[in-house]
Amino acid sequence: MTRKSIVVALIFALLFLVPPIGNATGETFLVSMVTRFVIYALAAVSLDLVLGYGAMVSFGHAAFFGVGGYVVAILGFHMDMGDTLFGWAGTSSALIIWPLAMVVAGLVGLVMGALSLRTTGVQFIMITLAFAQMLYFVLVGLVQYGGDDGLSITSRNIIPGLNIDNDATFYYLCLVLLLVWVALCRRLVNSPFGMVLRGFKQNERRNVNLGYAPTRYKLTAFVISAAGTGLAGALWANYALYASPDMASWLKSGEFMAMIVLGGMGTIFGPILGSAVYLGLEQVLTAWTENWMLFLGPVLVLVVLFSRRGIFGWLIGGRNND
Amino acid sequence: MTDKKPKLELRNLRKSFGALAATDDVNLTVYGDEIHALIGPNGAGKTTLISQISGEIMPDSGQILLDGKDITRVPPYQRAAVGLARSFQISQLYKDFTAEDNVAMAVQAHTASRFNMWRNARRDASLREPARQALAKVGLEHRANDLVSSLAHGEKRQLELAIALSLNAPVLLLDEPMAGLGAEESMLMKDILAGLKGQYAMLLVEHDMDIVFALADRVTVLVYGHPIFTGTPEEVREHPEVREAYLGNE
Repeated sequence: MTRKSIVVALIFALLFLVPPIGNATGETFLVSMVTRFVIYALAAVSLDLVLGYGAMVSFGHAAFFGVGGYVVAILGFHMDMGDTLFGWAGTSSALIIWPLAMVVAGLVGLVMGALSLRTTGVQFIMITLAFAQMLYFVLVGLVQYGGDDGLSITSRNIIPGLNIDNDATFYYLCLVLLLVWVALCRRLVNSPFGMVLRGFKQNERRNVNLGYAPTRYKLTAFVISAAGTGLAGALWANYALYASPDMASWLKSGEFMAMIVLGGMGTIFGPILGSAVYLGLEQVLTAWTENWMLFLGPVLVLVVLFSRRGIFGWLIGGRNND
Repeated sequence: MTDKKPKLELRNLRKSFGALAATDDVNLTVYGDEIHALIGPNGAGKTTLISQISGEIMPDSGQILLDGKDITRVPPYQRAAVGLARSFQISQLYKDFTAEDNVAMAVQAHTASRFNMWRNARRDASLREPARQALAKVGLEHRANDLVSSLAHGEKRQLELAIALSLNAPVLLLDEPMAGLGAEESMLMKDILAGLKGQYAMLLVEHDMDIVFALADRVTVLVYGHPIFTGTPEEVREHPEVREAYLGNE
């Protein structure tokens, strides 16, 4: 076993042990807290796929998070009203709604990516930000669905054989989904497709010269990333029983990015740590002061200064070019 | 020369940047098995010409033909597939990949698996074997698993050539493969190229006249974007205009 696989095994072992630890110590809020870590980690891992491997600095990933959340919330809303949506009676089955959230987020990603990928660098950052802000204001404008205030959700989606109203069960479900998604992403970045994606980050000119058309590869990765973030949004709506335009705000996009930088860009595993450290710090520090960002800032600066690949890079140590 | 069929043809190629005619009515033919050297003083437009052939720069007018087919408007990412491989004057490598990874990128570019998202690219023998063979061809197999960032300049030049070879393209555009090499390394590169002679149509941009005269079947002299003379190395050596323009009157 390499040091890297030990670190990864430890991260997941620890995450799997949280509910029993919470039970034993009587700290019941623990499960709720790590559920947030895991859901955000799913979004951050997805963003890392394009940001860390494809050098596509998307400042608009909250849009997909919001889309995922609103798919759950809007379907729930119509179920509660007992009416139909586009002639569809609706469903509360997670097995339909969650994949649907991924598909819708992926489609939004397809449109946003197809237009944004005509640019690179700073323009790409700004155009993805602009798209996400557009979606944010569309959500604010959906008066039927609560507008600014967002939508409450009466109950979680249903999975046959699982009672996800139980917080520990819901947590384990999120964790397993994260595990599966991480495994898929690792598979992807090590595949021939993934090598091409990483090639665009390192030397686009060489990549084009070898015969790789940029848009085809980048857009595919962007859509996959959007779908993963959409799933995270759907999970969040189930967790919080609430979806609001804030899910799609640029602050959320910034949070995802901060998690990646903190945990380790271009590592897939790093953003899981990033999410835990970011939200953990928020949890601890907000008890002290509402200006908790004041402390997060220096932590980010230190991590960036002392480790090229964030906390994960520092944990696995040594020369690591993945 | 046995293969008298033109492989690569440039017809009346022109490209201007503002008032500067970087490529001025260039006609040039490279045959299927020859090494065709392109020489000329600094700023003569040699790299600009190579960039037009490889599709990075679009000419203002004129035609580029490969096997008689017009490829002037073929986008740069399809040039390798139609049969043009290019090496760069300033090495264009993936610095966070190993030498073998770099070559494997060229190998997978012309396979169906390049869009595969499932298989592990680094454990795929169908990509790794050809990559290793190409590294062996340029004498770099002992560095296969080293990161590009740890390679010496000369080794990067060898790797650059291995990548171009791995595209399996019949035409090689070699933009100063000896750039920045010491005398010994240049000789090594010369031997490598000599060993490839006859297998590819090569357009070779080179400064070192000894190497040009040793390798080339024919030489084109480019001055201010215009080819002033094409002929065998001996003819070029004796040509008064060329001596004046480029070689200097020693």
